[in-house]
Amino acid sequence: MAAQTDNATLKTGNGLEALVSGYRPLPGIVDEMMDGNGQVRPHWKPLLSMLAGLGPEEIGRRFASADRYLRDSGVFYRVYEDPAGVERPWPLSHMPLLIEPSEWKALEAGLIQRAGLLEAVLADAYGPGDLIRDGRLPAALVAGNPEFLRPLVGVAPAGGAHLRFIAMDVGRGPDGRWWVLGDRAQAPSGAGYAIENRLALSRAIPEIYRKAHVKRVAPFFQAFQAELFEYNRQEDARVCLLTPGPLNETYFEHAYLARYLGLLLVEGEDLVARDDGVFIRTISGLRRTEVLLRRIDADFADPLELNARSRLGVAGLVQAVRDGKVVIANALGAGLVEARAMLAFLPALASHVLGEELLLPNVATWWLGRADVRDDILAKLDSMVIAPAFASLPDDAHLGRGILGAALDDEQRQHLLQSIADRRVDYVAQEAVTLSSTPVWRDGRLQPRPFSLRLFLAKTGDKWQVMPGGFVRIAENADARAISLQRGDATADAWVLSDAPVSPITLLPSPGRVAVQRAPGMLPSRAADNLFWVGRYVERAEATLRLARALLNRITEAEDSAAPVVIAMTGLLQSWSAAPTDAAPLSVSAAATQVAGSALMGKDFEGSLPRLVKAARTAASVIRERFSPDAWRAVNDLVAMIEAPLSQGPVESAMIERVEAALRIISSFSGLAQENMTQLAGWRFLELGRRIERALQTCRFVRCFANAGAPEGGLDVLLELADSQLTYRQRYVMIASRAPVIDLVMLDPNNPRSVAYQVDRIETHLAALPVRQSAGRLSPVQQVAASIATRFRIGNAGHIDERQIIEIESDLMRLSEAIGATYLTHNEPAQAVWATLP
Amino acid sequence: MIYDIRQTTDCTYASSVAHAHHVLRLTPINRPGQRVQVSSLRIEPEPVHWREGQDFFGNRLTWIAIEEAHEALTVKMSARIAVEKFAVPAVADTPSWEAVQEEVFASTAIGPTAPSHFLFPSRMVSLDPEIRDYARPSFPPGRSLFEGARELMRRIKTDMVYDTAATTVTTTPPMSFALRRGVCQDFAHIMISGLRGLGLSAAYVSGYLRTNRPPGATRLQGADATHAWVLVWCGAAIGWVGFDPTNDLIASDEHIVLAVGRDYTDVAPMDGVIVAHGGQHIDVSVNVIPVG
Repeated sequence: MAAQTDNATLKTGNGLEALVSGYRPLPGIVDEMMDGNGQVRPHWKPLLSMLAGLGPEEIGRRFASADRYLRDSGVFYRVYEDPAGVERPWPLSHMPLLIEPSEWKALEAGLIQRAGLLEAVLADAYGPGDLIRDGRLPAALVAGNPEFLRPLVGVAPAGGAHLRFIAMDVGRGPDGRWWVLGDRAQAPSGAGYAIENRLALSRAIPEIYRKAHVKRVAPFFQAFQAELFEYNRQEDARVCLLTPGPLNETYFEHAYLARYLGLLLVEGEDLVARDDGVFIRTISGLRRTEVLLRRIDADFADPLELNARSRLGVAGLVQAVRDGKVVIANALGAGLVEARAMLAFLPALASHVLGEELLLPNVATWWLGRADVRDDILAKLDSMVIAPAFASLPDDAHLGRGILGAALDDEQRQHLLQSIADRRVDYVAQEAVTLSSTPVWRDGRLQPRPFSLRLFLAKTGDKWQVMPGGFVRIAENADARAISLQRGDATADAWVLSDAPVSPITLLPSPGRVAVQRAPGMLPSRAADNLFWVGRYVERAEATLRLARALLNRITEAEDSAAPVVIAMTGLLQSWSAAPTDAAPLSVSAAATQVAGSALMGKDFEGSLPRLVKAARTAASVIRERFSPDAWRAVNDLVAMIEAPLSQGPVESAMIERVEAALRIISSFSGLAQENMTQLAGWRFLELGRRIERALQTCRFVRCFANAGAPEGGLDVLLELADSQLTYRQRYVMIASRAPVIDLVMLDPNNPRSVAYQVDRIETHLAALPVRQSAGRLSPVQQVAASIATRFRIGNAGHIDERQIIEIESDLMRLSEAIGATYLTHNEPAQAVWATLP
Repeated sequence: MIYDIRQTTDCTYASSVAHAHHVLRLTPINRPGQRVQVSSLRIEPEPVHWREGQDFFGNRLTWIAIEEAHEALTVKMSARIAVEKFAVPAVADTPSWEAVQEEVFASTAIGPTAPSHFLFPSRMVSLDPEIRDYARPSFPPGRSLFEGARELMRRIKTDMVYDTAATTVTTTPPMSFALRRGVCQDFAHIMISGLRGLGLSAAYVSGYLRTNRPPGATRLQGADATHAWVLVWCGAAIGWVGFDPTNDLIASDEHIVLAVGRDYTDVAPMDGVIVAHGGQHIDVSVNVIPVG
């Protein structure tokens, strides 16, 4: 024992040395962890010592556990250039960046000062325009900015501020100072990812995190949340996060932040702007919203007054802003201050507007629109970075986010010089800055990599708060100006250190501060619609799988006596468009194999498994934030499995194996939905979809396998399809006979696979949904549901015939339509006009 | 010259439209050289909401909402407008294009008619390098901007074929330029793209042409519908001058301005959002009769 303890102590003592022994800062670059003399900076020592105490193997295990946490939470990002638009696992670089307390204080002050300046510039550009008229900000720089949204000129934003949540990218230059590299005011991303990075890392090394005096970020978000809810004046209104939808690269973050801040995640389609305000289309009608946290680019926010081609926005939103009906964070048009060319003027504007120098410099920038600047810059082009003044220029693709003059070849240089001669207003020159490096854990050791740091600010009251932490972006190469997640680089957490121990505050919202939100009616209709269809598609897939399995089981038996029932089953799959109807003349068993194969793998048939599970996934992807990561993964696993070719080819045994595996995934999905989805309206729509589809399929099975002329063995098939063999055998010790079988699969309210059971569940779910009709009369949905229920109450197994089953099916289809018309679409009539009549 | 102007816009829909929101830019306003004596707008079916306003560039906007099911929408505009003759400046008095460019770049004006708004790419007018290179020969060093613009207008009229079947309202300048075909909208967009590509400010105008000209004069292209042409900023001293590349004409008292913007999308006579299935058909008829 004693020897072991000694050994451990020894390891810790020398551990720090060993951990950094191979670490060499990149030539000519400041390193965050190690000073110019190769000494570890003091504020890194506690962390490094504690890490060293774990030993390299344990460090690797801990960091891997952080990756696992991120994967299990479903954190991902999407890469635009990737044609498949695939979701990538989150690239966490596990070593945090450490910022010491005094340095943080200075950064904080500089950022807050700058935020005030940006707000003042926006207020002027969309207001009196004095800065422009006085020549402090060139008119071309405002007028040429694609984010200068003219319909917003002269509009004072409700709540009094253009900016409420912004980000600034900073980096440390060779002189050791922090420099602002750019401002993000449109709809800054990264804060949600920063929370996830923090959660992942603090769970992986909890004891270190606790002892390292790391400032907590939760209070920052609580304050921002409180601020947003401050503008929510009417009791029944909801604060929303407006997202462009799941195809956006940072959709995960939108969903995550919405959940974290207690906001309703909506797309433009969910909202409607009217004279009296902005409303959410929900399953209980229109509900007001007064505050939008905006993550869609402003230009896309209103097809009526902004970009008419936008399908993401809300027609009339600009007018609602003009009327002061909605607070948008950040205001439409706030993206104006993001322009690179702005950096050339902000230092001078600070002295004029604030009467003080910028505490934190930004990267030196010159706008070439100025005649006096151009000649200077052209003389030293090689040492300058030339970049677009605003966003990117289509004609100068090679320019990207900027290119060093020296890196241009002759042709590019001629091209650039001509472009500058024609339209130099489109360009800026920036000083080429090399950023500092921070350690990453790669191949079992620490290595330096350049990085930039994104810091976040939120407005609370009339003050700005800085999130004590940040989102670190790490470059894999040494060119620290070209950092973008879109290019596959990594991210890290930033730890702002405190002089004193930090009181532990959980990142997750504390119970006292969260308003209880149980209102089931706040489900957006679009989400309900998709959940309903996920339910229907999944259930349809299950029915198809069961039918294919029953068919495959009987081919194996290959008896002539089974032929009629095999033909009936193939016929049913064909009528569901799961297989071709014009198959070559084959033997019964060969034809059946072909049909089963097509139903399981044929992508050309709309009723085939690959098409059904893809349809289910498409509907689910639109609302994926409503599923647990496990349920979402189950849907993806199902798609992946169905799409994979069978290793031994389409032989029966392999196909049966696949059916079994697919059914297992579906049942795990059902279990996850049943157990993990809150049983609110959303879950009810998923259930309604499943129950209606299951009732329909079971009716069809009964008509096919239990009608008067059904083939021999049909009743056994029916019991198998309805998963009711066991119950039947327990109840009736005899071979299948028609009346008891029909009673069991159609009418028995205690059999969870019977039609009656589905109808009962449908009634329960409908009763729990918000009532959409005024008192006294049944809604169309309730009318149809009641009619179906009546059929079952008077039903008698001995007398049920094909005609009655068909009537039940058509009632079920009418019910599906009525649910759609009542809850899922919104042809809101001009109610306001009529409501006021006596 | 005083004109009576009537424009009827008929939209017919393939199926019934449940409700519709529209923005109309169909009411002319007073401008330098143009006085609106009277104007009115009639809309069928009757909108439940009707609001008048103006856009950033000062154009008159009418927002309407129709909440009854309808299969057709008719908007009738009538106006009486007095238009002054434009006094064409002597070329010698006009500044070089380089001087005007410097003036725009250094401009401190940000109001609705400031040249800076019309210097950059806009929704429909990208800065196409081919169109820029086509425009370049009209602007040799030191030439008057006015003269260069007039030559560019003439070249577009000569090189392009007026063809109502070749393009649609969504055709972009590079597309119509590649075809060397199009209508007034395409001609105007191409000229704007060329001028902006060289760092000069150019705006898009929608408006009307006199329907029947005096005996002996050729009938103008585009007189039966709404027309489009280009405004070029010729320096603070001269200001904006209208160039009509479809007819190779400097705009004067036969051109009546309806709306001005960066390109067609800023001045589209009718925008909106409708809830409907199927397509729509729009029919426009215009009459511009001199009354004195």
